[in-house]
Amino acid sequence: MNEFLVFFLHGLAYAGLLFLVSAGLTLVFGMMNVLNFAHAAMYMLGAYFSYTIVMQMTGQFWMALMICPVILFVIGALVEKFLLRRVHRYGHVQELLLTFGLAYIITELVKWYWGNYPLAINVSGFLNGTVSIFGLIYPIYRIFIFICAVLVGAVMSLIIYKTRLGIILRAAVNDSEMANTLGTNVPLVFMGVFAFGAALSGFAGVIAGPLLSTFPGMAQEILLDAFVVIVVGGFGSLGGAILASLIIGELQSFGVLLFPKLSMALVYLLMAAVLIIKPSGLFGEES
Amino acid sequence: MKKTSHSLITIVAIFAAAALMPFVLRQYHLNMLTEIIIFALYAVSYNLLLGYAGLLSFGHASFFGLAAFATAVAITHIPGLSIWSAILISMAVTTLAGFVLGGLLLRHKGAYFALLTLAFNSILYAIATKWHSVTGGDDGLSIARPDLTLGFTTISIAGLTNFYYLTLIVLGAAIIFCWYFTKTSMGQTVLLMRENEERMKFLGYNTNISRLILFVFAGAVAGLAGIFYTFHFQFVSISAISIDMTTTVLLIAFVGGTKKFWGPILGAFVYIILQNFLSDITDRWPLLMGLIFVLMVLFVPGGLSDVISNLRQKIFGRKNNKNGKLTTAEELKS
Repeated sequence: MNEFLVFFLHGLAYAGLLFLVSAGLTLVFGMMNVLNFAHAAMYMLGAYFSYTIVMQMTGQFWMALMICPVILFVIGALVEKFLLRRVHRYGHVQELLLTFGLAYIITELVKWYWGNYPLAINVSGFLNGTVSIFGLIYPIYRIFIFICAVLVGAVMSLIIYKTRLGIILRAAVNDSEMANTLGTNVPLVFMGVFAFGAALSGFAGVIAGPLLSTFPGMAQEILLDAFVVIVVGGFGSLGGAILASLIIGELQSFGVLLFPKLSMALVYLLMAAVLIIKPSGLFGEES
Repeated sequence: MKKTSHSLITIVAIFAAAALMPFVLRQYHLNMLTEIIIFALYAVSYNLLLGYAGLLSFGHASFFGLAAFATAVAITHIPGLSIWSAILISMAVTTLAGFVLGGLLLRHKGAYFALLTLAFNSILYAIATKWHSVTGGDDGLSIARPDLTLGFTTISIAGLTNFYYLTLIVLGAAIIFCWYFTKTSMGQTVLLMRENEERMKFLGYNTNISRLILFVFAGAVAGLAGIFYTFHFQFVSISAISIDMTTTVLLIAFVGGTKKFWGPILGAFVYIILQNFLSDITDRWPLLMGLIFVLMVLFVPGGLSDVISNLRQKIFGRKNNKNGKLTTAEELKS
C-alpha cells in the first residue's frame, strides 16, 4: 500500500511538471498555430539560469523562481518580434524551421557556456523538508511541483475563459483581421502570448532543475513527453493537456513499478493507440 | 524536347567528371566526395517530401537510421551475406516501416505531421539506445564491407576507390531515378496535390494513396542512402537514427533550396565541405551551422539554388519558374 502511494505521488509530481511544460506549448499552438520546437530549449534555459542564480549567485531558490520567467518572457518577446514575425508571411513551414533552428542554437550555446555535463541544483529551507502523508514520509518539493501546476492551470483557465483579456485573446485567435479592425492590437497580443509561453517554459525549467538533472539533453527528453501529452490530450486544448499530463505522469510512474523494462514503451503505445482510435486526441477538435 | 537532351548532356557530363575524380583527388577528398554523394541522395529523398509534396517531416532519420542499422545487423548476424542481399533486406525493412509510419501519420497535416514524425523518430532512437544486444547501444556496430558479387566476377570494395565507383553508380542511378519519378504522372500528381488537393479529389484522384506511395518511396530512397552510410564508415552508431541526422538533412535541403530538384545536391556539397572546413577551425561548428540555418530561414528562404537561378535569370534573361515553386510549367497551366 505504501509503495503504491509513493508511486502515485511520484506520478503526480511528474504530471505537474509535464503540465507546466506542455501548457505553454499548447497555448502557443492553440493561439498562434505555431508549433514551437524551441519551447523545450527555453525550458532548459530556465533550468540553467536557475543554476547560475541559485548555485553561483544568491543561493535562493525563490529568486530563480521569480527571475527566470521574467528573463524568458523578454527572450520570448524578442524572438517573436524580431524573428518569428518576419517569417510569418512565408508560411508555417518556415515558422517551424525557425523554431527548430533556434532550439539547435540554444542547445549549442548551453553546451558552450555551461558545459556538456549534468549540474545539480539544490533547494534549501522549507522546500527541502519532508512531510508525513498517511504515515508516509514524502519530500515537500514534489508536492510543491504539483501545487504549482494546479495553480498555473487554474490561473490560465480563469484568464482565458473569465476575463476581458481572455475574450481579446480568443477573438484574436478566432478572426485576427476582424479583431484588428475592431481596435485590438493583434500583433501585440501574439507577442504577449508567445512571451507568456516562453515565461511558462522558463518557470517549468526552474521547477524541473532540482527534480531532474540539468544537462544539455534535458530539452529533448522533456520535449518528447510533452509532445505525447499534446497528441494524447488534443492539440491546443488546455483541458486535454491537464488530463493527458496526469495519465502520462502516472503511466510513467507505475510503468517503472510494474514493467521496469517497458515503462517507456507504455507511453508510446498509448500515443499510437490514441492516434489510431481518435487521431485528434482526447479533447481535440477534428482538424 | 530540347530541354530533355540538355538535361541528358548535363547528367552525362557530371558522371564523366565524377568518374575521373579518383585520378584527380587525394584520398581525403575522395572520402569527402563519397560522403557528399550519400548525403545528396538522402537530401534528394527528403526533398521529395518537403519540396514536392509540401510535407515537412522531422523524422526522416527514422528511415536513414533504420536501414543503416538493418545493414549492420544483417551483416553481423548472417555470415556470408552478399552485399545485394544486405541491401535487399534493409530496403525491405525501410519500406515496411514506411508503410506503417505513413499509415499512422499521414492522416495529419502541417505542424501535426511534423510533430508526429519527430516523436516517432525519437521512439526509434530510444529503442536503438536501449536495445543494446542488437544495436550495440552507445558503442555502435562495426562491420566490414562485403565483396561485390556480380555473378561472373567478384570485386573487393574494401578499398576507397572501388567503393567510390560503386557509390557513384548505385546512388547516382538512384538520384536519376528520383528525378525521373518527379516527371512521371505519379510525381506530377503529388505536385498538383500540393497546389490544390480538393480539386485533385474532385478529379477522381485518391490523394491519400498517392501521398502514402510518395512517403514510402522517399523513405526507401533515404534507406538506400543509410545503407551506403553504413558501408562507407563501416560503422553505425545511434547518431545515424538521432534527431541530429534529421537536422542534418533539413539543413542540407534548406541550404541548397527546396524549390529545385538539384537544390539538395548542391546543399550536400556545400554542407559537407563547410562542415569539414568549420570543424577544422573551431569546435563550435554546430553552433555556426545553426546560425547559418536560421539566417537562411530569415533572409534566403529559397536557398542557394534559388539565388543561383535568380542570378541566371537576371544575367541571361531566361524565363524562370514563375512563382518559384517546384513545377513543370506546362502541367500547371493546363
